[in-house]
Amino acid sequence: MEQVRLEQLESAGIDVKDALSRFMGNANLLEKFLKKFPDDQNYKKLCEALEADDAEAALAASHTLKGVCGNLSMTELSGLLTEQVREFRAGEYSSAKELMPKITAAYERTVAAING
Amino acid sequence: MSMEVNKDDNMVSDMILIVDDDEINRGIIDNIFSPYYSTDEAADGLEGLSKILADPDKYCAILLDVMMPKMNGLEVLRKLSDEELTSRIPVFLITAEVNSESLHEAYHLGVMDVILKPVTPYIVLRRINSIVELFRARKRLGNRVERQNIKLLENAKKIIELNQGMIEALSTAIEFRNGESGEHVRRIRDITQYLLEHTELGEGLTAEQINNIALASVMHDVGKIAIPDNILGKPGRLTPEEFEIMKTHTVQGGLLLEKIPQLRDNGVYEYAFDIARHHHERWDGRGYPDGLKGDEISLWAQIVSIADVYDALSCKRCYKDAFPREKVLRMIRDGECGTFSPKLLKCFFEAEETLCKLYDGNA
Repeated sequence: MEQVRLEQLESAGIDVKDALSRFMGNANLLEKFLKKFPDDQNYKKLCEALEADDAEAALAASHTLKGVCGNLSMTELSGLLTEQVREFRAGEYSSAKELMPKITAAYERTVAAING
Repeated sequence: MSMEVNKDDNMVSDMILIVDDDEINRGIIDNIFSPYYSTDEAADGLEGLSKILADPDKYCAILLDVMMPKMNGLEVLRKLSDEELTSRIPVFLITAEVNSESLHEAYHLGVMDVILKPVTPYIVLRRINSIVELFRARKRLGNRVERQNIKLLENAKKIIELNQGMIEALSTAIEFRNGESGEHVRRIRDITQYLLEHTELGEGLTAEQINNIALASVMHDVGKIAIPDNILGKPGRLTPEEFEIMKTHTVQGGLLLEKIPQLRDNGVYEYAFDIARHHHERWDGRGYPDGLKGDEISLWAQIVSIADVYDALSCKRCYKDAFPREKVLRMIRDGECGTFSPKLLKCFFEAEETLCKLYDGNA
């Protein structure tokens, strides 16, 4: 992976080295999966569920998104989602919802970095 | 041998089912395993479960996400456990988080391992490989043991058939000496077996006992090997001295059977010895060699005794012609050829309608 690209992804909170190890060092494959991330529906589902105040659906989406981010080593985003899932589980719906601006910001930064 | 191993391997699947609602997660796991396994995917618990239930033996492992729409991983696991599939296919939970309660239930339901997301390829591959290999080895071993068992049973059956063949051959060889065809011993066996299986005489006996008695009946006259040709093949009546010698075939038969160690360890032996020695005893106590009376004579010796008389009367012998059926039955009923227990006679006449068909060729 080119240094520029690497720095771009790192700056968006992606631990590229860790992610590469998950793809057996195959940078092309990592890129391929990163490119799928903006199309992943879980962020959209999370926003819609919160819009509709559907706590259960929000938890499911947040949880799945957290798994995806974890697998792609999006450290920052997955850290925020871990926190959100914990709040949902604790029944702290509004605290969970309050995390959304941070999550959205991190999400958009990540998507922007991926799209280059 | 190499072909057999291949056969074992062919019966073992190499397909891993990845059940996860997120495409990226499925893709990552797929990427880890596809160099070593073929992979199949399901996008939620329900789809995964129906794929498994449709053909459980298709998969060598199931990787199950926990939080999924429609049916979550634990619910899938419960169904698989209900179907007793978790002991046949290793199931792994791959989950972003675990709480001790669901972990406990998962292991209780038979999950092989719980792997945390994000996965580390090297570790997940290692952990799943070892368990898949364990299940494969177990299955191969099971298949092989099963086939060996089938083979052992086949061999045991062959040995039993060979034994019976040898016993019949020996008995038939002895028959040949007094000019009979060997059909006699087979008919005695058939009559004995028929009376035990189709009349009240066989009550309380197991199928194995009846088979042993029938086989033993084949050997009733083996003692005749010790009787000189001039007596055995004499066309007319025996002199009293000759008859005394002829009578010793009963005791000689017992002695001969006693000397076959392999037979002595067999369930047939007790019957064979008893029948060889006592098939000329009479219900009224006037038979030989021991002069046993009534129920002192075993049931099987009594049965072979009446079968022997019936067969001798119905066929041509060196000392007599074949008698017609009516005459045979009258002679037995009137006690001209020995006395038998009333119950034995009753059962014999009941069965005789069928038994007479054995002699259709002689009639």
